[in-house]
Amino acid sequence: MTDDMSAIFREELRDLLESLERGLLDLKSRPTDTGLINQVFRDLHTVKGSGAMFGFTALAAFIHEFETVFDRVRAGVIPAGQEIVRLALAAKDEIPGLVDGDPDPDGRREAILGALRDIMAGQPVAEAGAEDLAGPPLARLRFRLTGAALAMGARPDILLEELRGLGAAHIVADVSAVPGLDRLDVDTCAIGWSMDLPAGVTFAQLEDVFLFVDADWQHDPVKAPTGADAPAPQDPTPAPPVAAMAPPPVETAPSVAAPPARDSRADAAGATIRVPAERLDGLMDSVGELVILEARLTELARESRDPALIATAEQITRLAAGLRDTTMTMRMVPMRSLVGRFRRLVLDLSDKLGKPVEFSVIGEDTELDKTVIEKLADPLVHILRNAIDHGMETAAERAASGKGGTGLIELSAAHAGAEVLIRVRDDGRGMDPARIRAKAMAQGLIAADTVLTDAQIFTLVFEPGFSTADRVTELSGRGVGMDVVRRTIESLRGSLEIESRLGEGTSVTLRLPLTLAIIEGLLIEVAGERYTLPMASVQEIVELPPEKTQPKRTGDFLDIRGRFVPFLRLRALFDCAGQPGPAQNVVIVMSGEHRVGLVVDRIVGTNQTVIKQMSKLHASVRAVSGATILGDGSVALILDVAHLVGMGRAQTEPQAAAREVAA
Amino acid sequence: MRLHDIRPQKTLTVVTMTLGVQTLAIPAHLLREILDPLPVTRVPGAGPHVPGVVNVRGSVVPLADLKHALSIPDEGHDDRRRILVLEVVLGGEVAVVAISADAVHEVTTIETQAIEPVPVSAQGWPPDYLTGLYRGAQGFVLIPALETIFSNLANRPMANLL
Amino acid sequence: MQKTVLTVDDSPSIRRMVALTLEEAGYTVIEAVDGQDGLKKALSQPVDAIITDQNMPNLDGLGFIRALRQNPAGKGVPIVVLSTDSEDVLKAQAREAGALGWMVKPFTQDKLLAVIRKVLG
Repeated sequence: MTDDMSAIFREELRDLLESLERGLLDLKSRPTDTGLINQVFRDLHTVKGSGAMFGFTALAAFIHEFETVFDRVRAGVIPAGQEIVRLALAAKDEIPGLVDGDPDPDGRREAILGALRDIMAGQPVAEAGAEDLAGPPLARLRFRLTGAALAMGARPDILLEELRGLGAAHIVADVSAVPGLDRLDVDTCAIGWSMDLPAGVTFAQLEDVFLFVDADWQHDPVKAPTGADAPAPQDPTPAPPVAAMAPPPVETAPSVAAPPARDSRADAAGATIRVPAERLDGLMDSVGELVILEARLTELARESRDPALIATAEQITRLAAGLRDTTMTMRMVPMRSLVGRFRRLVLDLSDKLGKPVEFSVIGEDTELDKTVIEKLADPLVHILRNAIDHGMETAAERAASGKGGTGLIELSAAHAGAEVLIRVRDDGRGMDPARIRAKAMAQGLIAADTVLTDAQIFTLVFEPGFSTADRVTELSGRGVGMDVVRRTIESLRGSLEIESRLGEGTSVTLRLPLTLAIIEGLLIEVAGERYTLPMASVQEIVELPPEKTQPKRTGDFLDIRGRFVPFLRLRALFDCAGQPGPAQNVVIVMSGEHRVGLVVDRIVGTNQTVIKQMSKLHASVRAVSGATILGDGSVALILDVAHLVGMGRAQTEPQAAAREVAA
Repeated sequence: MRLHDIRPQKTLTVVTMTLGVQTLAIPAHLLREILDPLPVTRVPGAGPHVPGVVNVRGSVVPLADLKHALSIPDEGHDDRRRILVLEVVLGGEVAVVAISADAVHEVTTIETQAIEPVPVSAQGWPPDYLTGLYRGAQGFVLIPALETIFSNLANRPMANLL
Repeated sequence: MQKTVLTVDDSPSIRRMVALTLEEAGYTVIEAVDGQDGLKKALSQPVDAIITDQNMPNLDGLGFIRALRQNPAGKGVPIVVLSTDSEDVLKAQAREAGALGWMVKPFTQDKLLAVIRKVLG
């Protein structure tokens, strides 16, 4: 196809769409006007016909279903109700995207078609004598890909799409031949499908669909009432637990998805509007730029000493802060949106492993930034899977150790300051620090003389290549996965902790920032270089006592109201040249339950910090979690408090251990 | 980019720049812009290869110094210094990376025929880090294998405390 | 996301025709001049589909497909073989080597697009 031809079609399409839209809008007020209905039908028919000729098959298939509905409207079987017109307008809006080959990640098109089908299905089956309106007689098709189809690049999803284009309905996946995960062969497709086809579909058309694949297919052109022969589409066998590993068919198979049309109608009536997520991202980006410019403006205003300018800049600062807060609130979604799939996961695993488990969720309403929620799903799946697979005992084991037969797994979420704590707790067998330590030594992760607390030992399971399971199960514990959990959480600027008592259970706590976009920062200066600390982690600022200005052999500690807090000299840590001035400050920051002091030359002030990610080239610099642009255009690095606190503890604990040994 | 990848094309358009006494040619399709020197924010613990970051129109971009990767001695710099902003593929994604140049010379088109493979162990250049070299007016011009260099830098082990 | 198609053919005009047709339809096209070159390119970057000639110097189409399928990275990529005759023997051989489909030369641009859409969706 040449550009010219495609351009001709697009031009024609523009006119058709205009006419279609006008017709549909008029139809709203004159739903019985047969002239209008005929015009809409004609427009649809032309879009479909020309689209198919110019190779826009997806468009043609989409319009085909749409046209079918209007054919019924034209025949007077279905009234041109408000809902049909609304759907038709929504469908019309999809046409340019279909022509351009845009993907439909939200499944809008399928939802529209589903709702249209619902309307058709909701109509009383036609009376005797009105045979042409009864819906075409149906045929059954079953198929299964043979040989190493997936290794050769066959795509069952495309086949299903083609079949759907031919009018296939009630597509049901047959997963009876799906083997256990240990025997699952990624090269073959273990799923078969069955569906209803319009009787008009010819053998040649089907041959064309299966042209490029080796498939066993069985076309049974016997008339059958809609769906009667089809197994109920409610997926009798649980889906294989590791959906991510299985190729697309598992996701695409249940094609008769419930149309979300009713929800959107309810929303339209209420005071809620739906906004595509990317618009929220765009808004957040703009707010980020605004905050940076606002900082620049404030700086310029201050330099100018012009009172009017300073007052205006202050007003803009207030407005920008309000806008920022509103925007961030708009991005918050409750944990509930994730929990549904976890229930299913726990249920499936509990069945599969024969370990009865009760799953409870606390704090489903806790809200987090949508980006955090999206990225949290996989880590939580890993943690839950691990809790059941490794943490939980069988009913018999539980009985033997005097526990109830049913294990408990609890997922909880709660706000704590500017952080969200998400915890997965089980009452299973707990973790054995001695065994983990031995394993980590055997795998060369730690040296024989490394001094570690139990909490530190537990976090070794998040090291790459670590696996505690002596027996590698098919579900988890192949030594991959948990390190991915840690990486994901750290990429979200969060941290994780494990507590466990042998025989009593384990809890994994994830600490995550409320937002990833803009934070309140404390700007500090070290040897002329400026850094930002997240304000939420700052506990207090004290002066460095004069006797502490020189490093001590016994480690650097401050006595903060009777508690020893280790501190780090950022000048030394960051390898700065020169000597500090006489008065240095210590910023006490906290992560989890631990604190560390950071010795800085100067506190510059607080600022709105728009977080920019560091490049992959700086991924190894763990003390820095991001960067931000200051009012003067320079870049300030954002320090990773969790990492610095960890360094502070590393400095403390050998000391503490040494004291214990001496005592 | 390896030499046999560019051979099928007849010509290659490059931007030439100097580092110390060495002239380098950067494939022009990787170049996004050339900037006057910018304030550099040092990243503590990042090491000499990518010592800092710069603000390029609101984005925080790493600034690499290829002298270390290519073992070119530092000869100091003057007001001819520039920053080249490049787009390279890093771990499957396009990443924006800046490099320092002691001077930028010209955009020129060379015959790929004229590009020679790097003699093994010549000058102590790491052979992986060079696509090839050609004879320019003032001696050899090196074509650095930027994506290999940056990929290696991105995959460095976490060696240091920071 | 733009899909990337690798065309492996020793004829520059066929490569150009494939590239022009597919680029116009929104695909990214990479060209390789023979089986050896194709193998190198297919393994050094992500490719969504491959169209390969059978008769080529250095490494022919079947050899290319077999070598590619032996590499874990070369599994799962749909490969379409171009052939000048529609002999069933060649089709069977191509299929056995790991090709998903075939196309008989000469072909029209529409036919090419239809085939690519069939394997890539």
